[in-house]
This record gives sequence, structure tokens and C-alpha cells, in this order.
Amino acid sequence: MEITETKQPTATVLALAGRLDGLASPALEQRIDATLASGAKVLVLDLSALAYVSSAGLRVFLSAAKKFKTAGGRATFVALPASVREVFELSGFLTVLDVRADLASAL
Amino acid sequence: MSAPAPLQLTLVNDLAEISRAAAAFETWAEALELPMADLMALQLALEETITNIIHHGHRDQPPGTRSFTVEFSAPAPGRIRLTLTDDAPAYDPLARAEVDVSAPLEDRPIGGLGVHLVKKLMTHAAYERRGPHNILTLERILGTPAAS
Repeated sequence: MEITETKQPTATVLALAGRLDGLASPALEQRIDATLASGAKVLVLDLSALAYVSSAGLRVFLSAAKKFKTAGGRATFVALPASVREVFELSGFLTVLDVRADLASAL
Repeated sequence: MSAPAPLQLTLVNDLAEISRAAAAFETWAEALELPMADLMALQLALEETITNIIHHGHRDQPPGTRSFTVEFSAPAPGRIRLTLTDDAPAYDPLARAEVDVSAPLEDRPIGGLGVHLVKKLMTHAAYERRGPHNILTLERILGTPAAS
């Protein structure tokens, strides 16, 4: 999986591309923890190029949302492809996480 | 589309096998031209069940020291079957407690989602203990929306 970071005035955006499986998820978790440690309050995860996510990736998403909320900020998930959206829906993540249509609506 | 012949893979208890199994499945299924949703559902079922065998079945075993098999087959048009066979102690992953997907963020446990997703995304899931083996059979009818 590739992670591309962009700093916006109001948020740190991590764009994920490829497969977020049990092997790739520890690297994403480290990246998210580093973003939080740098003092960022708003994390936006751009999932537009995410081809695959398993429960290991979902755990990292849930934990990111909890950590940013605890720190007084938020984690927002944008531009979900249809198959990723289905997995979010089955997991109850569409209601428990902050999911928005596109990047612009998250900034 | 012509159904490919069944393919059996032997895997070891190392999480790196997830990518090998996913790539092997993708190659095996190529002729079926699976829609994205079906491909992702089946790869997810594959990853979750392989991870379960490694974490639960072969817990405490050094990586790479135990082997198990997964078979990909197309028993009927539009139907894909994954069969996982291991010789770990008896363990039925499908018997895990249901996940409360409506719980608020604070109350959501980190974990337990894998089996939940497998049950939702597969049309049929069955566990059987046969002699020294755990046999897990998962089937998906292509193009079916997930059970809710």
C-alpha cells in the first residue's frame, strides 16, 4: 500500500492507495500515530484509491478515530469506493465514523 | 466464462502468506472476470480465515513451522468456494459472538470484526471437525448483495 501525505491549512490528509491488509496495516497505524504526535488535530483519510481493506485495516481506522477524538480533534474518511463502502456499512462504520463524500467537504 | 479447475495451495503459519494467497486467488480467478465487489469479498474471507488459523489454531507456534491448505473451486456457474483445512486443535471460528455494529464509537471494541464480515459477505459458511482436521467451507454466489 502507498500512503501519500498532504498538509492542508486545516488538516493532514493521508491518501491511501492499494491493499490495506493485515501486512500493510501496522505501517499505516505508525503513520497515523506519528501524525497525532506531531500535534495535528484533524486527520483526513482519502480512500479514493483504496482497492481492498480487511478487518486489520478497519481496526486501524477505528483506533484512529478514537485517538483523534480523545485528543480533541477528529479523523474523517472520504471518497470511499463502492466495495470499501460496503465493508464500512457491514461493520457499522458509516454511523460510527465521520464519513464524507469527498475531500473538499472534510476540510 | 469458463470455470477454472480447482487449485489447492499449501500455506505456512506466517502472516506474509496473506499476500501470496491473495495473489494466487486473483490469478486463479482471472478467467472469471470477477466484479470488484466479489473479488474483494472473497479475498477478505481468505485473509480473515487464514489469519484466524495462524492466530488461533497455531497460536504459540513459531512462524513457518505449521502448514495448512486452502482450495479455490467453482462448484457451479457463478459460485466460488474456498475450503480451508488445518490440523490445529478443534476451533470453530464461526461460533464467535456476534459483533454489535450499532454500538457507539467509545464502546466499539478494537477487533472481532473479521468473522462478522466473513459471515456477512459469504452466502454459505460451515465448519466441520473431521478426524484431526478443522475444515472451513465458504461459498459466495457472485453478484449477491451482502446479508444484512
